[in-house]
Amino acid sequence: MNRITFESVHKIFRHRPALRNWLGRERSGETIALKDVSFSAAATEVLALLGPNGSGKTTAIKLISTILLPDAGSVKIGGFDARRNAHDVRRQVGIAVAAERSFFPRLSARENLDFFATLDDVPRSERAQRIAETLRDSGLDEHADTLVMKFSSGLYQRLGIARALVKRPSILLLDEPTRSLDAGTTAHFWTTIRALARQGTTVLLATHNFAEASAVADRALLLHRGQLLADRPIAKGENADTLRAFYFHSTGEVDEKDS
Amino acid sequence: MKKIRDRRSFFCNLTLLSLSITNSSYARNYKLEITQFSSLMTATFDKLYAILRRDLLTTIRHRSGFVLSLVGTFTELAAFYFLSRAIGSGFRPDGVAFFPFLLVGTGVYTFFVMSVQAFVSAVQEAQQTGTLEVLMTSSTGPVELLILSSISAFAGTLGNLLIYLSAGVAVFRAAIHPNFFSCVAVMICSLVVALALGIAGATLQIAFQKGSALLWLLGSGIWFLSGTMFPVHSLPRPLELLARAMPFTYAIDGMRQALLDGRPISAMAPTLAILAAFGLVLLPLAILCLSFTLRRARQNGTLSFY
Repeated sequence: MNRITFESVHKIFRHRPALRNWLGRERSGETIALKDVSFSAAATEVLALLGPNGSGKTTAIKLISTILLPDAGSVKIGGFDARRNAHDVRRQVGIAVAAERSFFPRLSARENLDFFATLDDVPRSERAQRIAETLRDSGLDEHADTLVMKFSSGLYQRLGIARALVKRPSILLLDEPTRSLDAGTTAHFWTTIRALARQGTTVLLATHNFAEASAVADRALLLHRGQLLADRPIAKGENADTLRAFYFHSTGEVDEKDS
Repeated sequence: MKKIRDRRSFFCNLTLLSLSITNSSYARNYKLEITQFSSLMTATFDKLYAILRRDLLTTIRHRSGFVLSLVGTFTELAAFYFLSRAIGSGFRPDGVAFFPFLLVGTGVYTFFVMSVQAFVSAVQEAQQTGTLEVLMTSSTGPVELLILSSISAFAGTLGNLLIYLSAGVAVFRAAIHPNFFSCVAVMICSLVVALALGIAGATLQIAFQKGSALLWLLGSGIWFLSGTMFPVHSLPRPLELLARAMPFTYAIDGMRQALLDGRPISAMAPTLAILAAFGLVLLPLAILCLSFTLRRARQNGTLSFY
C-alpha cells in the first residue's frame, strides 16, 4: 500500500500587493507552484525531489505535512486525506525544514525536543530515553543542555532533524536537510536515512545535492516550474554525475560545468 | 472508540465522551471509555505542563525583562498614588477612595491588554521564527494548542494582576474589603472574555498580520470608555451606552464591587450574568473565526506571513 499518494495536485499562490505598494511596482498575480502532479511512495522508499528553486519541492512537502492545502486534486497520506483528516496525517509525518530557527531560543536542545515530543504524543515513559537516543544519533549529546540561542546554523539543522526523528514518524519529510552540515555529519545522516528506510519509514527528501540524492534515494522525482518532468529509479551506486546530466537534460538548463 | 479518538479538539472529545456515557447504546463500552478519558486527560495535562514549563523557563531566563516589568508595575502604582493624592480625598467615585478605584480599574484593564498581547506576540514570534508552521504539523490540534497556551499566558497575566493589587494594598495602603467568592466569580468570567479577545488577536495576526490593531484599540480608545479611571456615568449619554456595550466595563465594575465593597455573589448577579453572556457569545465566535482563518491561511500559504 502506498504511504503517500498525490493525484493531479494543483497548487496556486495568489499575490495581492501590500497597501503601501499599490502605487509601486508590485502587481497582483499568481504563481503556479504545482500543476497536475501525481506520484506515490511506498513504505521503505526514499524519494529525492529534485528541481531548481521555485520548482515546487517545498510546496509538495508542505502539502504532505498539512501546512498547505491543495487547490485541486488529492493528497493522501497512509490512506487519510490531507484536507479532511489533517490530524491523522500529522500523527504520521515528521518534518525538518531548511530554514531552521523554529525553536524556543531560551530552552536547551533537550528541553526543546521534550516540548515538541510532548505535543507529538510521544508517551511520557519513553520520552526521556528517546530524546537521549535522538540527541546521540544527531551528534548533539555534547550540546544537549546548551540553550539553542547559542547554536550555530549546523547545530540548528541537526536539531531540526532530531525533532523530526524523535516522533518516530512513518513518513519523514526533509527539506534540504544537509545544507549547513559538515561532511562527517552529512555522511552519518545519509546512513541514518537508509537505516530508517530499511525499518519501514518512507522518506521524501527535497535537495539540490546530486551526491545526496544518488547516495540515499531509490527514486528521483524531477520538478520544474511546478510540473513533474520525470519519475525515475536511481540504481544502487549510481554516479551523481549521471543524475546531474539527467537533470540538466530534462530541465533544459545549461550546466556551467560542461561549458 | 475510534470515532472519539479521531476528533481534532479535545473539547470535542470531552463533549462526545460525556454524551456517549449518557447514551445507553454505549453502556457496554463504559469501562473502555473511562480508560480512554483518563488517557486523554493525562495527555492533555502532559501538554499543559510542557507549555507551562516552556513559558516559565523562558521568563526566568529572561531576567532583565522580568525585573523591568516589576519596576514598571511599581512606577505605575506610584504615579496613580500621587495622582489620587493631588486630586484629594474629597473625590470618591462610586463612594470609594480614588486610589483603590484606580488600582482595581487599571489592574483589571491591564490584565485584559496583557492577555491579548501575550496571544498576539506568541503568534507573531512563532511566525517570525517559523515555529508556527512546525507547531501546526504536530499531533496536537491548533485550537487545543492555543487554548492550552492561553492557560499558561493567563497564569502569567493573573500573576501580574495579583502582584499589582498586592503591591497597591501593601505598599500604597489601598483600603479593600474583599469577598473572596465574588472575586473568583468575576475573575472566571473575565478570563473567558480575555480568552476570546486573545484568540481574536491571534486570528487578526494570522489573517492580516495585524493583531496589534486590537492592542492599539484596547490601548488607545477603549480604556477611557470602560470606567478604568472614572465612573462611566460621568460620560455623555451616547458614550455611556457605548461603554455599557463592552465587557471590560462589567469586569472592572464587578471587580470593584467584589474587592472594594465586599459584595456577595447574590448581590452581583446582574453584573456576573452580563459578563458570562459576553463570554458565552464571544468565545465560540472567536474559536470559529480562528478555525476559519487557519484553514484560509493553509489554503493561501500565508500561515508564516508576518
